[in-house]
Amino acid sequence: MGASFVAAGIFLGALGFDVPRAYATILFTSFRTPNGFVQTLLKFIPLLLLALSFTVPLAAWKFNIGGEGQLLAGAIGSAAVGILLSGLPAFLLLPLGIMTGTLSGAVWAALPAWLLYRFGINEILTTVLMNFISFGLLDYVTTEVWRDPAAGHPTSIPIGAGAHLPLLISSPPLHAGIVVAIGVAIAIYFFISRTTAGYELLATGANPRASLIHGIAVRRISLLALILGGALAGLAGAIEVAGVHHRLIEGMQSNYLLLGILIGLIARGNILAVPFVAFSIAVLEVGARALQRTMMVPLEMVFIIEGLILVFVLLSDVVRRR
Amino acid sequence: MDVFVLFSKLVMLTLVPYVLASQGTMLGGRAGVFNVAQEGIMLAGASVGFLGAYLSGGNLVQGALLAMVMGGLFGLALAYFTTTLKMDQFVIGLALFFIGLALSTLLYKLVVGVTLTPPLIPTLQELPLPGLSHIPVLGEVLFKQNILVYLAILLSLALYVFLYHTGPGMALRAVGENPMAADSLGVNVSAMRYLATISGSMLIGLAGAYLPMVYTGTFTEGMVRGRGWLSIALTFFGGWSPHLIFLGSLFFAAVEVLAFRVQVTGVGVPYQFVLMLPYVATILVMLPTFRRLRIPAFLGRNYDRERRALL
Repeated sequence: MGASFVAAGIFLGALGFDVPRAYATILFTSFRTPNGFVQTLLKFIPLLLLALSFTVPLAAWKFNIGGEGQLLAGAIGSAAVGILLSGLPAFLLLPLGIMTGTLSGAVWAALPAWLLYRFGINEILTTVLMNFISFGLLDYVTTEVWRDPAAGHPTSIPIGAGAHLPLLISSPPLHAGIVVAIGVAIAIYFFISRTTAGYELLATGANPRASLIHGIAVRRISLLALILGGALAGLAGAIEVAGVHHRLIEGMQSNYLLLGILIGLIARGNILAVPFVAFSIAVLEVGARALQRTMMVPLEMVFIIEGLILVFVLLSDVVRRR
Repeated sequence: MDVFVLFSKLVMLTLVPYVLASQGTMLGGRAGVFNVAQEGIMLAGASVGFLGAYLSGGNLVQGALLAMVMGGLFGLALAYFTTTLKMDQFVIGLALFFIGLALSTLLYKLVVGVTLTPPLIPTLQELPLPGLSHIPVLGEVLFKQNILVYLAILLSLALYVFLYHTGPGMALRAVGENPMAADSLGVNVSAMRYLATISGSMLIGLAGAYLPMVYTGTFTEGMVRGRGWLSIALTFFGGWSPHLIFLGSLFFAAVEVLAFRVQVTGVGVPYQFVLMLPYVATILVMLPTFRRLRIPAFLGRNYDRERRALL
């Protein structure tokens, strides 16, 4: 950790930026004001869910690189419910929207998962290709089906008020998605560490051959792990629609997929570590945005810090092995 | 120009990044190193290639060389982490993908900054081959292209000869099939893996640089648009052999050209669905073929000569 900050600091200094002030901005923006903290929590929600959607299949040593597509499928699914049934009362519409979104994400992942199960096609490839298909779908619904003519950027018309997630704090606004996300993370942790299916999942990843010999349906476990991963990303998409945007916006997937993968890898697949890493990355992301505003340091600078953290974490494994 | 001739000519032009990236992937894979960072390496190559040409006042050769050096650095990192440190190839590949993607945008922003109109470099011109380019139809399609089209064709031929008709090529294939056997015959397994991974990644970097140098004249974020991932699929279709990869890339290029033409002219289908075509087609083609494909037996694994048996 420390080494990556030093390395990135030297790089920043070489480019002529004020290094101590830059780091103060990156690290403390989240904790200085209530607004900064809420911004961090809002980033934390999708990051946590996307990191889990990568980490759960990773436990079975399957790589889900399709979180972006699954998030968008979830967003489109929940927005469809929110727009088409906008007259329904909130106690029906909100859960229906969230559930449809989660299901859509699961379906989006189910295709690559089934291709792996049935034909043995490498899941890295198919999950990625599904991302690009989802971009086209989002563009289609935001420019043709539910286009908002008032918006300059491809955007859909808003969902019904009944589909909005309630606010926990009204100013600065923090929606109830944080409770859902943390609840899901705890549930996933108990599923993996305390249930038979979770144990079989870990065993499959640790040694597929031994698992197969001991009667674990290895291929079915991989199928289910990928679908569960898709459901988590779909849930993230549904929460983004119901809690943050209240509509579909092109580009709403941001860079959550990449950061989710990064978080999963830094946590080295450990489900318990994922929320803490996700929160730290959310702090860095919010800090980097402030840095761009105040000191004109490009946003991507923080990627280099994050990339270096990842490299050092991975290297520490090698050192420990010796 | 006849529609068919124009179409074929465009296919040959569009073929290049697929051929370069897939042959690069194939080279590393033949030594057992499965690179999954193509998308990131191509983006870094596109960015560095553009910047190299832009800063030298439009010198495309310098841009292309820089992109290859950049690719080579990624290859060196991949080879070091997997071959020397024996870390998981997918994990390292994904990390490098992330770094390449971040680096591409960061370098562009640091050098060019935010501008209203994108800075442009001159695009690569056609280089008609004397004599040959006057052959009807064939001359137009094959011999009136930019230099990298010729390079892609010659490279595929050269790789075919190298892999199947030379000693070092055979040694390379042995390293990817059974490194223990190769090692016992005196082949330097590590050196082979390093060389193949680095030279393969240099090709992938060049594939990235092709995009700003031929298509757009400038760098835009995410401009590779999945071509890196598609080239992995292509390498699988081609059974990790250079001649079949070349044939497969004809298909990928044809789909891309078709999608582009249909988007411009329109056929009553919303253009978004046409843009999905390359990705949908790739998944569909994988369905019947994937199981039957031949892959290097040691693909994606790391060789440790001090271990007694290969699991």
